Amino acid sequence: MTVHQVGARPVPAPPRPSASRAATALLGLVAALAAAVALSLAVGANTLPPSAVWEALTGHGTTETDYIVLGLRVPRTVAAIVAGSALGVAGALIQAFTRNPLADPGILGVNAGAAFAVAMGVAFLGLRSSSAFVWLAFLGALVVTVAVYLIGSSGRGPADPIRLTLAGVALGAVFSGITTGMTLSDPDAFDSMRSWNAGSVLGRGFDVIVPLVPFVIAGILLAFVLTPGLNALALGDDVARAQGANVAGIRIGVIVAVTLLAGTATALAGPISFVGLMVPHIVRWLFGPDQRVIVPLSAVLAPVLVLLSDVLGRVIIAPAEVPVGIVTAFVGAPVLIALARRRKASTL
Amino acid sequence: MPSRRPRPRVLFLAAVSAVLVLTGCAAKTTPAESSGSEAATTRKVEHARGTTQVPADPERVVALEPLELDTAVALGVTPVGAAVASNVTGVPGYLGVSGVKPVGTVPEPDLEAIAALKPDLILGTEARHSALYDQLNSIAPTVFIATHADPWRDNAALIAEALGRADEVRALLGAVDDRCEKLANQYDVAGKTVQLIRPRDETTLSLYGPVSFAGSLLECVGFSIPDRDWADGLQADLSPENILDATADHVFVTTIDVHDKSTIPTAIARNAGAFGSVTLVDTSYWISGVGPRGAQSVLDDIETFLEETH
Repeated sequence: MTVHQVGARPVPAPPRPSASRAATALLGLVAALAAAVALSLAVGANTLPPSAVWEALTGHGTTETDYIVLGLRVPRTVAAIVAGSALGVAGALIQAFTRNPLADPGILGVNAGAAFAVAMGVAFLGLRSSSAFVWLAFLGALVVTVAVYLIGSSGRGPADPIRLTLAGVALGAVFSGITTGMTLSDPDAFDSMRSWNAGSVLGRGFDVIVPLVPFVIAGILLAFVLTPGLNALALGDDVARAQGANVAGIRIGVIVAVTLLAGTATALAGPISFVGLMVPHIVRWLFGPDQRVIVPLSAVLAPVLVLLSDVLGRVIIAPAEVPVGIVTAFVGAPVLIALARRRKASTL
Repeated sequence: MPSRRPRPRVLFLAAVSAVLVLTGCAAKTTPAESSGSEAATTRKVEHARGTTQVPADPERVVALEPLELDTAVALGVTPVGAAVASNVTGVPGYLGVSGVKPVGTVPEPDLEAIAALKPDLILGTEARHSALYDQLNSIAPTVFIATHADPWRDNAALIAEALGRADEVRALLGAVDDRCEKLANQYDVAGKTVQLIRPRDETTLSLYGPVSFAGSLLECVGFSIPDRDWADGLQADLSPENILDATADHVFVTTIDVHDKSTIPTAIARNAGAFGSVTLVDTSYWISGVGPRGAQSVLDDIETFLEETH
């Protein structure tokens, strides 16, 4: 007997790389992360011998090595891991959510909102250091994303990705314009915002990193919960509904997770460009479209990239440094061009 | 405000204009030269953008560079308008002048505001305002120094020439030298090292070298700034990891509030043991107050410091 299906396309199951392949990749990435952490502790603008680094880590350092290793390199390494993981997962979510391979966590206005809040802090509260910017930036990111959501979902029906993206881009442009205007009119005061704006993980102590970690953990856990729903959404709203997925619920969950993750990353390290765009792209390109693979692998690959970029930034113009955000842009642009030139660049 | 490296061509122009300034000064003292019929109302000034006819005695001057504002004020020609480092702070307080209208920021002067002041002379900087020259020159005769990275005394001399006060500026620069010499004789600091550190942000501390404005003033009273790989002798950037390369007998750190000890960078505070003597100094004249007036303000601070420590 032959059964003909009429009116509905057969649902293609996501091409599933064998679970063992993804697990091997995850193990490999964790090893790479460990190596990147070691590099980040050992290499810097000051060429300390590895033995001096080890002595500082084991509590036998001098005042100088204690300051360099424990005071600078350890906290910046932790900040790079936290911000990197958050950006990688946020990028994966936002690309799946908008079904746009070029979407970046900043598309919902997170970066523009954080930068605007920081600019207000500089202009009206006299804040001058990146650690003082953290909570203000986080608040700015949250407020603007909520505003984007309200604008994007007003009128008929639930918020759909296109309207949210438009609202995010529009509101982001407005806030960026105001921020730029403020910066230009008082360049002296905004000197302190410069490195924040470029994206840097240096100078963030544990007093500002630790309170942000729960937000990142919550965001990543939420992302893991959402991955099966995102796989369903990739097939289109109707098919997803037919499969029993709660489309509106998944969308709100994604927005919450992206806001938590990108908001924390931006608050902690400033708007580090390209990481959230590039990492999920690379993962999808290598391992296919299954979000259950993309999300965890992005969470590990992104901090590797941020750490390696940060290390590069410390050595290329030693004895001075380049902020990590500038390095990721330099690394990211060629990767993006390479991706764009491949015909099979991972589509969504 | 990152300082730019002057390109060789700019340096060449600067050298040429410095020579022209010197010959201009010499020519002006010859009475026979100034007997021309038009000499009473205008003068010719050679500068980074060629030769410009400027009023013999300019009254409504607009200055687009801190050095030009400072020099004009020091010469007794208070500009009607000036580009400022910050629209919020406005015209720097150390100058002690009022009634100077801010006309945009130094990197982005506001042409409409400049035109509204109906100036008779505009002073600018080729390295910053090159693209604006023709528009500025259509508002009023415009004289450009080549770059703010050149030795400030040469730039001040060109500005004085444009203002018709070449002799006066020699006296002002001479007064700076005399004061340096007096302080150098009064306090024996020979062999003592100093560092002038400008904290930029978390990743960068800028050290200022012997050719920089305040660096040259620290050296002229007898201090020495340890040699390093300066960009143009002016400045060298340092990661906080290398802060111990910036130790010296006395360290001066620039800040917007000299009473706020929290503006000492963490890198220095955490290594207090290696930094015996740290003094906060005002960015508005130590870094931005380039010119004869600013030089006296910096020397005031240095004199106070020497009185207290020696």
